[in-house]
Amino acid sequence: METLLTIKFTTSLMRAVLLGMLANVLLFSLACAQTTEPVMVAIAYPATSEESIPRASLRAILGMRLHKWPADTPVKVFVLKDDAPEHATFSKTVLQVFPHQLRMAWDRQVFSGQGQYPEQLGSTQEMLSRVASTPGAIGYVKASEVNQNVRVLRIR
Amino acid sequence: MYVCSGFARTACFALLGAVSLCGTEARALDLLGGDFQLHGFLSLGLVNTTDNNFFGHSDDQISKDFSEVGVNASWRLTPELQLAAEVLWRRAGGTDDGARLDYGLLDWTALAREQGRAGLRMGRIKTSYGLYNKTRDVPFTRPSIILPQSIYFDRTRNLTVSADGAEIYAEAYGEAGSLSASFAYGLPETGTDATKVPLVGLNRPGSMESNLAPDLQVIYEGSGGKYRLAFTALRVDLSYKPGSADRLQGGKLRLVPLIFSGQYNAENWSLTGEYAMRRSTIKDFGPFFYNGKQDGQSYYLQGTYRLSPQWEALLRYDAYYADKNDRDGQEFAAATGVPGFTRFARDWTLGVRFDVTPQFMLRAEMHQIDGAGFLASQDNPNPQALRRYWNNFMLQASFRF
Repeated sequence: METLLTIKFTTSLMRAVLLGMLANVLLFSLACAQTTEPVMVAIAYPATSEESIPRASLRAILGMRLHKWPADTPVKVFVLKDDAPEHATFSKTVLQVFPHQLRMAWDRQVFSGQGQYPEQLGSTQEMLSRVASTPGAIGYVKASEVNQNVRVLRIR
Repeated sequence: MYVCSGFARTACFALLGAVSLCGTEARALDLLGGDFQLHGFLSLGLVNTTDNNFFGHSDDQISKDFSEVGVNASWRLTPELQLAAEVLWRRAGGTDDGARLDYGLLDWTALAREQGRAGLRMGRIKTSYGLYNKTRDVPFTRPSIILPQSIYFDRTRNLTVSADGAEIYAEAYGEAGSLSASFAYGLPETGTDATKVPLVGLNRPGSMESNLAPDLQVIYEGSGGKYRLAFTALRVDLSYKPGSADRLQGGKLRLVPLIFSGQYNAENWSLTGEYAMRRSTIKDFGPFFYNGKQDGQSYYLQGTYRLSPQWEALLRYDAYYADKNDRDGQEFAAATGVPGFTRFARDWTLGVRFDVTPQFMLRAEMHQIDGAGFLASQDNPNPQALRRYWNNFMLQASFRF
């Protein structure tokens, strides 16, 4: 009888542990899903004339077609590497352009003499410091990583 | 490295030098805070055909005569002004071997607003012609090793590569999409045999001249480039100046291609189709030439699928008819004695692309072709020796910086 009880106890313990592990995995993967799709925002040099920008104009700027802010200052575009998750998320959710489409648009312009590539940066830290210190600069970071040295551009 | 001419060797060394300067990480040479950029590409191809020659002696052999090297520089002087130029060296069998200024232009954005821009380009300008022509020699921007030959002929390419003149352009950016239009007026390249031979044949002593050619293109891009629709209209007027003891008289050629293009881009796949109506009017060449008016017809449908970020597969059907009222070429054969199947080509293409790194790409493709319509006479001097059914296997390695 005692042995039966211990067996029952150990099996229920094992079940509990298994359930706990499963829940953990599930929660962890949910957390992962959240971190792979962070909220991205467009950021600009703090003294930029604009507070907000139409999505179509933002596309034209990131597509290296529009080179001036409405107040006539030159635009300087910073991006992360093509395979950076932030780049893919920003392209898809904010610009609503697939990253390979953006790359194709740059290639088409550079190799026909109609445009140039944006400057590619290696990290979010570099993105924040370059956008904060370059007049006319535009870039992007996760909303959670914005600091007071850059301006967040609202999409209108 | 199979390229043999001195220029190619120099260009390769220059490229390798530039690349080693940049290091392994950097893709480009950026000076003046990125306002000056230097970019380029180098590609080598192998071609093997079961019959007929394509890009060199490929019939039951492996031709190494397909390589492309390009170096370009661009300098953004102000937000309104940009200077850009590219030198291209290209070898493609008997049709092309040499260096040229591919483009060299000053781009002036006269007007720029949040909603759009308009401006003027002057100098040697890439010709607007379908979706792919402006970067037709840059392997990374093509969907396959060779572009669909029904529209982007490699045989008569020189007339549509670039033109010396000016182009006005306007673009509007709206929530629904962007609309771009350009109108160019320029002189296409006519001074080389590569232009003359496909139009009047081998061993003609005369020369070809062109009038200024108008070129109009309108492109609509919806939903950030998910949909792309384009219309192109081009007119090229050529006149032939006979040489001494020439069997041909001073004839005139007018070529008017109209191209309708459409593309849908999903995240992992794209569907592209283009349809071209090509009217050519040929007159006054005398009794030893095929004078007359012909309505050519070309179209292709192409699907690409991205299996992973590095792998892409392609399937395409491409059809070319020199004269849609004489699709099988029988009337032409009766009038000239040249086989009718030289007047059409139907090409099934299967291809794969592997991006080893963002700078280095490998490609392989197979063509199953019915017809000899896009073959060059420089590589196939005797039309009677041509075969109607043939296969083409191609490999290409491309590097860019």
